[in-house]
Amino acid sequence: MKMHLRLALVPAIAAFAAACGGGGSSAPPAPPPVVQPPPTTVAPPPGPSRAELAYASKFASRATFGLPYPQIEEIAEQGAEAWLEQQFEMPVTESKPVADKLKGRRAAGQFNDLDGVDLIFQFWRFAWWHTTMTAEDVVRQRVGFALSEIFVVSNIDMLNDEPWALTNYYDTLLHGAFGNFRDLLRDVALHPSMGIYLSHVNNRKADPASNTFPDENFAREVMQLFTIGLYELNIDGSLRLDANGAPIPTYDNHDIAEFAKVFTGLSYGGKDARFGKRKAWFLAPMQMFEEHHEPGEKQLLGGVTLAAGQTGMEDVEAALDNLFEHPNVGPFIGRQLIQRLVTSNPSSAYVERVARAFNGDDTGVRGDMRAVLRAILLDPEATQPREPSTFGKLREPALRLVALARQFKANSDDGTFYNAGHRLNYYTGQHPLASPSVFNFFLPNHSPPGLIADAGLVGPEFQITTPTTIIGAVNMIDVGVFRENQLFDVPEPFAKANLNLTAYRPLANDVDDLLERLDLVMTQGEMHADTRAAVRAALVGIDDPLTRVRQAIYLIAMSPDYTVES
Amino acid sequence: MTTRRGFLTHTCGLGAATATLSSVGLGLSLAGRSAAAAHHAEDYRALVCILLAGGNDCYNMLVPNDQDQFDEYAAIRSDLALDRSTLLALPMVEEGPNRGRTFGLHPGMPETRTMYEDGDLAIVANVGTLVEPVDAAAVASGNVRVPLGLYSHADQIQQWQTALPDSRASQGWGGRVADLYAERGADTGIGISMNISLSGSNVFQSGRRTDAYSIHHRHGAPGIYDYGPARRRAVDAILAVEHSNLLRREYSRRLRSAIDQQAAFTSAIATAPELETPFDDDRFSQSMRQIARVIGAHDSFGVSRQTFFVRVGGWDHHDEVLDNQARMLPWISRGLHSFRGAMQELGLFDQVTTFTTSDFARTLTSNGKGSDHGWGGHHLVLGGAVRGGRMVGDYPLLSANSPLDVGRGVYVPTTAVEPYFAELALWLGVAPSDLDLVLPTVRRFYSPESNAAPLGFLNLPGVA
Repeated sequence: MKMHLRLALVPAIAAFAAACGGGGSSAPPAPPPVVQPPPTTVAPPPGPSRAELAYASKFASRATFGLPYPQIEEIAEQGAEAWLEQQFEMPVTESKPVADKLKGRRAAGQFNDLDGVDLIFQFWRFAWWHTTMTAEDVVRQRVGFALSEIFVVSNIDMLNDEPWALTNYYDTLLHGAFGNFRDLLRDVALHPSMGIYLSHVNNRKADPASNTFPDENFAREVMQLFTIGLYELNIDGSLRLDANGAPIPTYDNHDIAEFAKVFTGLSYGGKDARFGKRKAWFLAPMQMFEEHHEPGEKQLLGGVTLAAGQTGMEDVEAALDNLFEHPNVGPFIGRQLIQRLVTSNPSSAYVERVARAFNGDDTGVRGDMRAVLRAILLDPEATQPREPSTFGKLREPALRLVALARQFKANSDDGTFYNAGHRLNYYTGQHPLASPSVFNFFLPNHSPPGLIADAGLVGPEFQITTPTTIIGAVNMIDVGVFRENQLFDVPEPFAKANLNLTAYRPLANDVDDLLERLDLVMTQGEMHADTRAAVRAALVGIDDPLTRVRQAIYLIAMSPDYTVES
Repeated sequence: MTTRRGFLTHTCGLGAATATLSSVGLGLSLAGRSAAAAHHAEDYRALVCILLAGGNDCYNMLVPNDQDQFDEYAAIRSDLALDRSTLLALPMVEEGPNRGRTFGLHPGMPETRTMYEDGDLAIVANVGTLVEPVDAAAVASGNVRVPLGLYSHADQIQQWQTALPDSRASQGWGGRVADLYAERGADTGIGISMNISLSGSNVFQSGRRTDAYSIHHRHGAPGIYDYGPARRRAVDAILAVEHSNLLRREYSRRLRSAIDQQAAFTSAIATAPELETPFDDDRFSQSMRQIARVIGAHDSFGVSRQTFFVRVGGWDHHDEVLDNQARMLPWISRGLHSFRGAMQELGLFDQVTTFTTSDFARTLTSNGKGSDHGWGGHHLVLGGAVRGGRMVGDYPLLSANSPLDVGRGVYVPTTAVEPYFAELALWLGVAPSDLDLVLPTVRRFYSPESNAAPLGFLNLPGVA
């Protein structure tokens, strides 16, 4: 079985190796792939080739938060395609149970709130870090994070006095990551945290007597950010233009007002549910209270009208169908997922292939997230960029810390990986689910002044790459790599995490072996020869092998070769 | 001759706008540059923008203190009303729309009362986002234009920074000021952006071609740790590598430039005089202290204009508004007071103007524990150029039937953000003829050619 899959992988590897050689980099060209002859003897098959390992590492860096070398080897042996299918079948590792456990320990008096430290809020962050560090459904976790940057809620100024608000929301995204986009859209729309964040919880029907009208906040964002965007798109993500060459808006203020009517009558579920209840309940979707739902017709997009007299939930489902069926969703959401996982500037052909996967051109199933993810992660362009000089993306600063901890197998005394995240936030201005607004940390079309804007391209992650955070991210790695117990910041009495570099100790005796391994793990086998030489020079004179390893990791982690994955 | 800096700083008042505008070409000469440097200190001006993120419940920061209006206030606010005897009474308002009325400050703000009485602090009442002047009936009719996403944090916090209430822009008016200066070839000094943030990336200071330089409220601008000769050599070598990938080249360029900027910042800030004025240890006060240090060293930064941005979060008091405000308003009051002391100590108080912003005010009615999202709110402006001890803007007469109440005690703003910011921008030195570039919707509420102050809370020489 294993052999069959490796053979299936060969064409992709060959293509990848060719891309490597054509990249204009002076890195040593990847050796040609070894095509295995059919097994005729009992001799054990040799390990994967360098090109196979490099491709596996590249794939892991896109599809996961980062994997240590042995797991990269596994992907190389198994083939990315098969490995991905296996990941699709893994059960969801939720974050909420971690918060529950912490709440239980706190209730049992095992620790108290610290002076000035609100532990309740931090349980969400503890849960996110522990789950991100330990879950085996590594692709789902990574995709869930990507979705959290599209379906944004944030703990800035709200949602921070109850850890379930964000653990349960994040788990909802994890569950939706491999399902159907339509179900995910419903689960997001009805989630109490979204109801709070975009204020459609306890949103009342119009009351002309008291001059109140439905809140339009969610109605606008569900169109602008979560489904169709501002302008009509072709299937390849390019703008459709009218006869005058102008973009065509997808909706207007009237449409927003009509959709706002749909999202009325929703309040918290749970015990003593009633409309207008202020005490939030996060463990059930919002539920409909008909008497507060706007009656009457609603005009949706594309000339669709909802008849008067439908139930509130019938209205909600029909409105979400209306958006889901819009031809923009595939290219709009597809391009953003490509940007989050693979490259900031995908070609229009790449976007089109992903949009067609979303549309179900081959399968007949619209919105199948697995098909979308296969299309994104296994696309020929992802394997062999047509324009290597503009391909790739800046690693999000928060994810650099995650990758460091995961690739170098952080451990702790009791196997917990809690992190309050203050230091991460301080260094980088970023923490999961702490975006300053519903517009995420950065915009998909942010074109940073400089070489990227001059080339007419975008680089979303550069929006949070300020003179301070670009240095802060380097210092974050410094602290994590060199300083005992400082990988994460966590108060007593919780366990401290440290990198576990024992696997690198033997390699450290030969600097070239060490750098070759780190190149495969961190820079996908594409480290520039001059970068390698610079790191090598910096290791001269460091006698302690582990210090040598740490120094090499630190320098590679700050290099352009690592920081931009291509 | 008029120097480039003279053009940009526009210190001669509105009447000189035309003359300074025509000096763009002249100002680029080297002679102009050195002349400007010589006049640097007196040319310097800075704005400090304080964002009370989440929506400060400012009807409890500034409370009507005439008995009948206090009674209306107490009736509407019910369990959220402050005890009248605890209010810090301000003198009767002597001019403007609130003439003859009295108000009291929140009991946690005695320093603010002192600064008001000293004539150093003004209040701008009931200012908010508007597309056109409206009242509650007009809003109810649905026939008028109102800001996008009214009552929504995301939109309102953005619009208070962009001053563009009917679009979703990612660039703020502070960023547009810096863009304007950059386009006109302003001296960039040692290469640190004129916009300095104590709260990271923000909309207010983001421009098309300029971004904020972020510093930390305690640590300033930390450099690369352990940056000794060996590490420096390694970093230099890594950043000297020629990459073919454009994103790698851009990252490399930015890290190189950030390292160089940090070194420049560190040298510049080292010239700041030690401040005698004590600051509290909370984050806001420490942010204001850090700003005071940069201002103290402004000569070394080599720019004649700076803006600063501080975000103080946590004002979304749907719950426990009374306790929370009692805890948080003193941060603001004490921090501003220390900052005044530091500016006076540096002899720069007349050259620095500090102003507050917030997403919105909050409902006057209670939700049982706190208040919900409102609209127009009251703000503070501090500085030596401020016509202090005054209130501008119309503080609504509180009443259950107020024509400005759109429901639940949410008052329609009587002053738009554009004239509020226009006054600050003009004071900073933006020429009236450039105001449209900084505040594209300003003409809805103020005519830059009017030669009148937009609101009148700052001394703008040459303005009626």
